[in-house]
Amino acid sequence: MPKVEHTVYGDRKVFTVSAFNRGIGMHLGRLPPVWVEGEVTELRRNDAWANVFLTLKDPKTGACLSVTIARRTYDRLELVLVEGETVHVAGRAEIYELKGELGLRASTIERLGLGDHLVALERLKRALAAEGLFAPERKRPLPRVPREVGILTGADAAARGDLVATIRARFPATTLVVREARVQGKGAARAIVAALAELNARAEVDVVVLARGGGSFEDLLPFSDETVVRAVASSRVPVVSAVGHEQDTPLCDLAADARAATPTAAGALVVPDVRELALALEATRRRLRLALRSQVERDRSRLARQGDRLRAAPRLILERRRAALDRSGARLQTLSPLATLGRGYAIVRAGGGALRSAADVASGDALDIQLAAGSLGARVEDVRP
Amino acid sequence: MTERSFEELQRELDEIVTRLERGDVPVDDAIALFKRGEELYKECVARLQGAELQIEELVPRDPAT
Repeated sequence: MPKVEHTVYGDRKVFTVSAFNRGIGMHLGRLPPVWVEGEVTELRRNDAWANVFLTLKDPKTGACLSVTIARRTYDRLELVLVEGETVHVAGRAEIYELKGELGLRASTIERLGLGDHLVALERLKRALAAEGLFAPERKRPLPRVPREVGILTGADAAARGDLVATIRARFPATTLVVREARVQGKGAARAIVAALAELNARAEVDVVVLARGGGSFEDLLPFSDETVVRAVASSRVPVVSAVGHEQDTPLCDLAADARAATPTAAGALVVPDVRELALALEATRRRLRLALRSQVERDRSRLARQGDRLRAAPRLILERRRAALDRSGARLQTLSPLATLGRGYAIVRAGGGALRSAADVASGDALDIQLAAGSLGARVEDVRP
Repeated sequence: MTERSFEELQRELDEIVTRLERGDVPVDDAIALFKRGEELYKECVARLQGAELQIEELVPRDPAT
């Protein structure tokens, strides 16, 4: 074992802070491994980190112990721990040299069954789900452009600030109605229900955001209270739940019409982006103008076609008359006796009119015979009636 | 009468455009619709421009909540 360096001042051995911490660490390392029981709180796991951190809490006294475990070891356990669960952790005491903080270096963690809260919560969740309170078809669409946005928040400056900043940046043309309520501890559920009812009573509030930052499992419990969950489900206007962090799922999340991982995400859900809206308006105006122009264009060309037809009408009538005349002329032509003479017939006249019967003349009478070209003077030699 | 919401104005504008685009509106009506559409557009833009976020604090009816 390496020696812990110290400086000697006369009869005094003096250690540096680091050497002291390291020395204590070496002593702790000689203690046997132990099992420790406690409730999991503040579990922090990140893919980029080598270790997973959590705090074990004694449910009776509130005493806390920091625990670290190698991330790979933790992942292999496939525990998916929930805050508030009671676990057994096996490990050795260790000291975090930089801070001089005592902790437990875990080699394994075992689930001891869900805590009482979790059991009750799970039972409530099943009952409400069976009632259909979380059914997808119950979810209402959020208004596209809310007249007023109701915000139900605790005295939580960060969550409220993020939400207000996001809405101001995206869509300042609205009104935020903020109702602060006691959101944790005793009486919180009743306060949340009352605040939601008051926001619902405002005629112009079109959507409500529940904005509550991260907190321990216990801190978020009011948002899983049955009265709160039912109030969210029966809210007049759609509710967006932005409660806790990504990994938390209070029951109000399931009853809400939409869920946002952060207050910022909630802000983006409840109001449109004013720039996109302005672009859409411009596009609509272009369509409006184009629609009128093509309507006028259509009317104008229809008018032009009608004008053309009007101007063409007299000429058309003349042409029709001329054609009719031409047809009459042709018919007249076929009926003319002169045309018949042309085919070899002759007209015989005796005295006045055309001769139709041999009995009308006697031998020796003078006849006039008209041919197609010229005429003949003749005399009757023989009559054969 | 309460002021009409932005969404209502925008919906009316969209309906006007759709009607005009169908092209079966008599020309006089079309011009009237167009004028109405322009008004709606201007009203929508005016509401977006220069708007400042209003924040109203709701005082609890029951101070304990």
